[in-house]
Amino acid sequence: MSKHENERKRTFLLITIPILALFICFNTIPLIRGAMYSFTNSRGFGSHDWVGLRNYIDLFSDARVGKSYLFTIKLAIVTTVVVNVISLILALGLNSKIKAKGFFRGAYFLPNILGALVVGYIFNYFFTYIVPALADMTGLQGLSSSILSSPNKAWIGVMIVCAWQAIAMNTIIYISGLQTVPEDVYEAGGLDGATGWKQFKHLTFPLIIPFFSINMVLCVKNFLMVFDQIIALTKGGPAQSTESISYLIYNNGMSGGQFGFQSANAVVFFIVIVVISVAQMKFSSSKEEQL
Amino acid sequence: MKRKGFRSLALTACITAIAPFAWGCGSSSDGKIEVEIVQYKPEAANYFKTVEDAFNASHDDIHLTISSPNDAMAILKTRFIREDYPDIIGIGGDINYSYFVDAGILADISGYEGMQNVNEGYLEIAEALELVPTDGTYILPYAANAAGILYNRQMFEEHGWQIPETWDEMLALCDQISAEGILPFYFGFKDTWTCLAPWNAMAVELAPADTTKQVNKGQTTFTKEYGELAEKYMALLPYGPDDPFAYNYNDACTAFARGESAMYPIGSYAAPQILSVNPDLKMDSFVMPASDEKEGRTLNSGIDLGFCVTADCKNKEAAYEVLNFLYADDTLQKYIDAQTSVPCKKGNFTLPVILDGMTEFIASGNMTDYQDHYYPSEMSVDALLQTFLIEKNKDAFLKNFDTSWQRYNRDIIRMVQEYEAAHGSAQ
Repeated sequence: MSKHENERKRTFLLITIPILALFICFNTIPLIRGAMYSFTNSRGFGSHDWVGLRNYIDLFSDARVGKSYLFTIKLAIVTTVVVNVISLILALGLNSKIKAKGFFRGAYFLPNILGALVVGYIFNYFFTYIVPALADMTGLQGLSSSILSSPNKAWIGVMIVCAWQAIAMNTIIYISGLQTVPEDVYEAGGLDGATGWKQFKHLTFPLIIPFFSINMVLCVKNFLMVFDQIIALTKGGPAQSTESISYLIYNNGMSGGQFGFQSANAVVFFIVIVVISVAQMKFSSSKEEQL
Repeated sequence: MKRKGFRSLALTACITAIAPFAWGCGSSSDGKIEVEIVQYKPEAANYFKTVEDAFNASHDDIHLTISSPNDAMAILKTRFIREDYPDIIGIGGDINYSYFVDAGILADISGYEGMQNVNEGYLEIAEALELVPTDGTYILPYAANAAGILYNRQMFEEHGWQIPETWDEMLALCDQISAEGILPFYFGFKDTWTCLAPWNAMAVELAPADTTKQVNKGQTTFTKEYGELAEKYMALLPYGPDDPFAYNYNDACTAFARGESAMYPIGSYAAPQILSVNPDLKMDSFVMPASDEKEGRTLNSGIDLGFCVTADCKNKEAAYEVLNFLYADDTLQKYIDAQTSVPCKKGNFTLPVILDGMTEFIASGNMTDYQDHYYPSEMSVDALLQTFLIEKNKDAFLKNFDTSWQRYNRDIIRMVQEYEAAHGSAQ
């Protein structure tokens, strides 16, 4: 090894270590402390006792926690499908040769710039007053009362807001994916009769699979951790039907006195997200095509 | 050479890791004593800003900072996790106060001279909030609120409606109001906490004041104590808007202020919000009638804001000086005017007009604390109530109440029963 190369390595180390230290300080240490709290009955302040695995045992028998997992997973799956289908269609449209392409791309990106809380409050008004008023005018019985006030339908409201915001970012990622597909692939495919749906299915989609998998992983992870939209739209209601896992952890762990118990919930939730993300990456990387 | 390189790397890493913790310990350099208050009523932020300015203008040796953040309870608890305590905290007399006393975060302020001026009724309420009887006083009750029914005085006068005193009279009144084509009540049940207002107001007449304590001692169940209460609550719903779960607290206040309903079952604390929509509204209140007897009625009132000195506070003298300033008659009167609340201090105060219908109860000290001040917030009784009002299944609700209570209060129940075993339940 030459001296020059050693110098280079040391420079890289010098760049990495402060970042690593910050990461350990603000991420790893809190994570470990949180995991330690999960074995106590701590309220977050004052004294606490070690209770062993009691929190974890409680976790699996707590109906409210179970309900929050079901709600969150349902929301994440449905929203991910809706977001990816719509944003892929939008990206195909915005990538074609249309007039004022730049304007449309900007317009469709707008929802992503707005804060989730602002969007939530606007939609709140929209669902409570505007939709029922429109439904009354057009005679649609099913929508004449706010969907956010029905325990069976409130999750659809949350889903719409999440999707409305997330589509922007996903569309941009798909557009950049579509731009990596060279024109001559389509030309060659066209000679073999691959046009329209066939072209999309056999040429376009396989070539943008890496972008599809990024979108899937980001979507699932983001929607599993849904929080702002819940706070702004429903605060977990009505009838506790839209309590997401993050909301429950924050609300009962911080505002409430279940710091230890919700730490256990957070540890389990962390493991669930890691497992799902790794599984997704493994699955979609096996499907990738190279040119 | 190589070793030295690693040592410097390790040093860099340590410094980077330690740096964030070093920023926290600043202190004032001009020799003044710093006193920090965090209080939990953001709607009173303007009032506390003026108090802060007035205090700092009149004191050279103490510098006071008052912050009134949104969701202060979460902020306070997050700071407590880091063991970072403000000198004085302004909180309500509810379960969080009970937790803080139990955790030993608060200082005993029974030695503070201002304590002698507190209305005994509120000291008793504070005493009752302690999970197990604890020596000392930990809160200076500042202002109280009362819950019942706010009504549109002008509307009542125009139609000649009478204030009801029993449950039957109240239902008759509601029928009469609906018959004249007016909505009797407005509800804002989308905000779950508003579900608790009528519940608390009726509970003081229908359930023992210490229901939760009796349950903790294993002497009764909620199914037994809350049955009638739950039924009567359900009976109120038809007199409200068609879909009460679509509207939040702001919507309900706005609707009531605009005369869309004759009454609104909520606490006195809603008055500033309602008047901000319609400053000309003539509004009064009455005690919620829930039982069939005219005797033995009581007003639902509890400590809305009290000040506690933390055990960690370095300079108790300075903290007491701040309390003196806050507890001065004219400072307190200004708070009462701004927040339409009830003073917890003895003396001649001008009560807000909207409490006219409750003055009699306040003057005679006939008050009972909110049931929900004893409910742990993580149990979300407000959400349980909302579920109950949507599904209208009384038995399932009460059963769920009992099982959830045991689950969320396991450590407290164990503590209470250990205390009972050690001290006997003779007292």
